[in-house]
Amino acid sequence: MTKDMIQITNLHKSFGNLHVLRGVNLTIAEQEVLVIIGPSGCGKSTLLRCMNFLEEPTGGTVAIDGVVLKNDASINEVRKEVGMVFQRFNLFPHMTVMQNLMLAPMKVRGVNAKEAEETAKKYLEKVGMADKANAYPEQLSGGQQQRVAIARALCMKPKVMLFDEPTSALDPEMINEVLDVMKTLAHEGMTMVVVTHEMGFAREVGDRVIFLSEGNILEEGTPDEIFFHAKEERTQSFLSKIL
Amino acid sequence: MDLNFDLIASSFPLLLAGAAITVEITALSVGFGLLIGCMVGIARLCNVKALRYLANVYVDFIRGTPLLVQIFLVYFALPGITGSRVDPFFAAISACSINSGAYIAEIFRAGIQSIDNGQMEAGRSLGMTWAQTMRYIIMPQAFKRIIPPLGNEFIAMLKDSSLVSVIGFEELTRRGQLIIARTYASFEIWMCVALIYLVMVFLVARFVAVLERKFETK
Repeated sequence: MTKDMIQITNLHKSFGNLHVLRGVNLTIAEQEVLVIIGPSGCGKSTLLRCMNFLEEPTGGTVAIDGVVLKNDASINEVRKEVGMVFQRFNLFPHMTVMQNLMLAPMKVRGVNAKEAEETAKKYLEKVGMADKANAYPEQLSGGQQQRVAIARALCMKPKVMLFDEPTSALDPEMINEVLDVMKTLAHEGMTMVVVTHEMGFAREVGDRVIFLSEGNILEEGTPDEIFFHAKEERTQSFLSKIL
Repeated sequence: MDLNFDLIASSFPLLLAGAAITVEITALSVGFGLLIGCMVGIARLCNVKALRYLANVYVDFIRGTPLLVQIFLVYFALPGITGSRVDPFFAAISACSINSGAYIAEIFRAGIQSIDNGQMEAGRSLGMTWAQTMRYIIMPQAFKRIIPPLGNEFIAMLKDSSLVSVIGFEELTRRGQLIIARTYASFEIWMCVALIYLVMVFLVARFVAVLERKFETK
């Protein structure tokens, strides 16, 4: 039996009077690929961002590989192990692709420049961007930027990767190049939590899909169960709009 | 009216020497102001409440009072506390630096806040501390954006430094006053003084424009 990688217990998050997450309980196993779907404003991104404390929960706990997240210096230790990919890429525009990839391993993990460069090259190769090592982010297309962003997160050798709508800001013809990289990662056994509505991706590599509605998990199951045999009416009505 | 060209020619070197002192005060004040402004600007954005409060009080006080009054406070009021006379050079530099620091703090704060929040999130999500993210990610990007307003601040200080003439510090304006006191040639001398300021400001503005372009291409 595989061990639990992420354990979320009774998670609440409010922004002022807005109660976004309402007591979410969720366990994600090592090497599992979990896909989170749900209508806009249901708390998908907030839930994901609570998993590395970019949002600090109002109540409840999040544990990564057995370590309970706290809002103090210890959070940096946890974040080393949790890679994140953003909808809007968030590459560092004043640095080349290579510098983007080398910065955190050198400053956070303390590896030397040579080793950081080797690691960076390896992951650039993996995402098919080795020839753009010396380009600046603005010289790349959205799909290329997102692949670099994935490589940047991988350079920290994380145990978990979080993806926050990684293809929503992309032109349609670039979506697949990013999804292909993510599929490769999934096949290699990376633990992944992905907020996305890409059904093809979910069906091919997703182990489990959860449907989030009004701040809680309304329904969960395998991709086929959720996408084709949803029990809840709200899930069905949501899926009928996006499929 | 007849212009006394001999007087202009003989006074010009004296005025230029004064201009050199004006540049010196300005460069030192904006230099120290940069150090103060960088720290205070960051302090205004940090999550330590006491630091933020102190930084706000400093900026509000300096922006809320005239530079002339600040110069008087350092030169005339400070000796009342310390009991010893304040050197005019020290008074001029410290008053101008403290003044400049407050304005530059605002320039830094605005520059930092103009950087997309996603940059901070990306840095933090990679495990970097707040300070590391500031230093390697946010500040280098903010710095490009604050070059134009910093240039403005330098130009403003170049002209405002004329105020230190009131404590007898012999920069460009004070030199002009002294020559006029001797020769009564107000028109010639003030025209020369104005012209020298104008040329200095023009040169600084050009320099800033070159810097701006240099950072833009990167």
